[in-house]
Amino acid sequence: MNGGRNYRLKIVLAVGMASLLSAASPSTSNAASFELPPLNSPASPEHHVGKVVWAELVTPDLAAAERFYGGLFGWTFQSVHTGMSDYAVALADGRPVGGLYQKAIPAGEHRQSAWLTFIAVRDVDAAKQAALAHGAKVVSDAKSYPARGRQAVLTDPEGAVFAMLASSSGDAPDLLAVPGEWIWSSLLSQDAGTEAAFYQQVFSYDVFDLASEDGLEHVILSSDDFARASVNTFPPGAARRHPHWLNFIRVEHTIDAVAKAASSGGRVLVEPHVDRHGGQVAVVADPAGAPFGLMEWTDSDSKVEPK
Amino acid sequence: MKVPHIPWLAPGLALLALVLGSCAVTGVGVGVEGTADYGYDAGYYEPYGYDYGGWGHGYRVGPGRGGDRRGGGDPRGEHPSRPYRPAPESRPTPSIPHGSRGSHH
Repeated sequence: MNGGRNYRLKIVLAVGMASLLSAASPSTSNAASFELPPLNSPASPEHHVGKVVWAELVTPDLAAAERFYGGLFGWTFQSVHTGMSDYAVALADGRPVGGLYQKAIPAGEHRQSAWLTFIAVRDVDAAKQAALAHGAKVVSDAKSYPARGRQAVLTDPEGAVFAMLASSSGDAPDLLAVPGEWIWSSLLSQDAGTEAAFYQQVFSYDVFDLASEDGLEHVILSSDDFARASVNTFPPGAARRHPHWLNFIRVEHTIDAVAKAASSGGRVLVEPHVDRHGGQVAVVADPAGAPFGLMEWTDSDSKVEPK
Repeated sequence: MKVPHIPWLAPGLALLALVLGSCAVTGVGVGVEGTADYGYDAGYYEPYGYDYGGWGHGYRVGPGRGGDRRGGGDPRGEHPSRPYRPAPESRPTPSIPHGSRGSHH
C-alpha cells in the first residue's frame, strides 16, 4: 500500500512540476501557439546579409487587404493561426512574398498602415547592438519564431522603421523578381549620406554614390555585388515628410497597375514616370493607406543616363 | 524512501498550475505605441498625416542597369567629407539580380 501511495504521489509531483515549469515560461508557451512559417521551403543554404528578404503589412482590415492585393497582383493567401492574432502569408505563384498582419489601431489614435521592411542578418542580437550603438532605437525587441527565425524591429537614427531577420530557412537565391514579387526597396530620408553611413555600419553594405540629377543625394546600398536598396534625400516641395522605407513590386505595366489600384480603392501618391533603369515606376497607397511602389523591369527598357 | 502524506499537495499544485497556465496562454504583452498585442509584436503603424508621395518626375529612387555614373568623388576612392565609406570609384555601380529562376541551379 505504501509503495502504491508513494508512486501516486511521485506522479502528482512530476505532473505538477511540469505544469508549473510550462506555465512559468510564457515565451515557450507563446512560441508553441504562434508559429510563423519559414521564408523558404525547402530551406535555402544561402545567406545574403543586407538583402531585403521579407515585407509585412500591418493593417486594421485583413480581409480588405487580401481583396486589394489579391486583385492587383494575383496573390493568394494562407491563413496562419497565431494564437489571438490574424495573420496571412501572401503567395505569388505559390511562393511566399510577404505577411499581412491585422492589428487594431489604438483607440483615439490616427495611425498610418504600412509595410515593414525586413533586412537579412546572420546574428540579430549582434546587428541590433551595432544599430543601437549608432543611434537606432528598439521598437520590438529581438524574438525567435522557430520556423521563421529571429527578428527585431528598430528605428534608424532618423526614425524610419525597419526589421532585421536571421531566417531559419536561409535567404532566397539572388534572382530577378518576377511580376508580383518585390523587386526594389528605397529609403526616403532627411539626409541620405548620414543614413547610408548608419546602414553601412549595421549591414556592412558597399555604398555607391550616384551622380545627382536633381541636386539631392542618392546612394545605392549593395551586398554580394548586387544593388539592395537606394537611400535618398527627400525631394523638395512637401512640408511634411517622415523618413520611411518604401518597397516596390514588379509589375508588367505600371500605368495599368496604377489604374487598377485606384479603381480598387487605392490612392496614387506618385504618378507613373520613367526611373533610372528606363522603366516606369509609381507609388500608390492601399485602401488602408499603406504606401508601396510599382516598378516595371523589362530587358527592353533603355538605361537612362544622367545628364 | 518514506514520503509523508500531504492531503492538500495535489489540489494545491493543480490550482497553482491552472492560474499560472491561464496567464501564459493569453500571452498578452505591451507592444509598440503602448498597445496590447497577443503574441506577435512586429506590427507597426506609421504616424499619420505625413506626405508619402508627391514627387516630381525628375526624382528617381530606383536601381540602375549597372555601371551608373558615380557622384564624382575623389578618384583615389577617398571621400573624407562623406559620413559613409564609398566604394572605390573603380568599382562599377551594381544593379539588381538578373538571373531567372530557370537558370538557377
